[in-house]
Amino acid sequence: MKLYAYCLVEDPDAFDASTRGISGATVRLLQIDELAVLVTDFNADTIAVTRENALDHAAVVRSVLDRTTPLPFRFGTLVTEQQLRSYISARKPALQTRFAHVRGCVEMSVKVIRELSDEIKTQSRDEITTGTSFLEEKRREILGSEQKTAEAREIETWLHEQVGGLIRDEQVTIRPSEKLVLAAAHLVERDKIGQYKEKTAAARKNRPELHFLFSGPWPPYSFANIELEFKTQFGVS
Amino acid sequence: MSSSFDQIIVSEEWESTDLSMLETLDHVLNRGLVIAGEITISVADIDLIFIGLNVLVSSVETANEVLRKRQTE
Repeated sequence: MKLYAYCLVEDPDAFDASTRGISGATVRLLQIDELAVLVTDFNADTIAVTRENALDHAAVVRSVLDRTTPLPFRFGTLVTEQQLRSYISARKPALQTRFAHVRGCVEMSVKVIRELSDEIKTQSRDEITTGTSFLEEKRREILGSEQKTAEAREIETWLHEQVGGLIRDEQVTIRPSEKLVLAAAHLVERDKIGQYKEKTAAARKNRPELHFLFSGPWPPYSFANIELEFKTQFGVS
Repeated sequence: MSSSFDQIIVSEEWESTDLSMLETLDHVLNRGLVIAGEITISVADIDLIFIGLNVLVSSVETANEVLRKRQTE
């Protein structure tokens, strides 16, 4: 028998026993030291990656968000009870530090999509007919790449300036060469969500050349991982 | 169940239902605590990364399709 793990919680009272999990399965609370884990008893060795299962996972994690801030596990976390106990016991200080970091907060998500500028698109369509034009094309590619990186950095800085006073932490990924130029997760205290929404709504109007996708509040998926977990496990630096 | 934290998906013109699903998948499949070192999880991660990337590409392509339509109108 394995356990499918949804999330860690500090406050067991946040759990509603009527909550249903993957494929309608019963969800129960497993107390480990001072923490609790929302789990489902699971008879298989693997779990299918389907839209329904993923949404079921999200619904369970979300079910406690009104009353507490959980640390979500990634979809597909299937372990024995002993493995789960060992994981939590061995990392209790780090997990408690994570809880302290996200306590009272939710995650807000921002994605910024940008159309390539006309200049860059025109340059990339030029035909390459000679060695000289090949080198010129390469030069334009490099300049274009630098320009896109500079633009992405500018958007990152601008966005931070808009919400910096309202967030506790942020995780930002920029992809200068892609259409989805920036993905940001903001850790926002619950009583500042209203201000955050107002601020981002106003900011969006000031950048008509960009396209935004705002979503939230989410459980803090982007702020749950323990730093250096991978290095700790595999000795990779 | 009603919630004081009803989730919002704000975009300019895209279908909010689709985006809600994509955003949910993006969070659930790509982020969260990972119990490293477990074979089940390591194997699962390969699939999850692949699917996560597809979700992302799909969402961007959907967005661009909407933008193209708007520019031709």
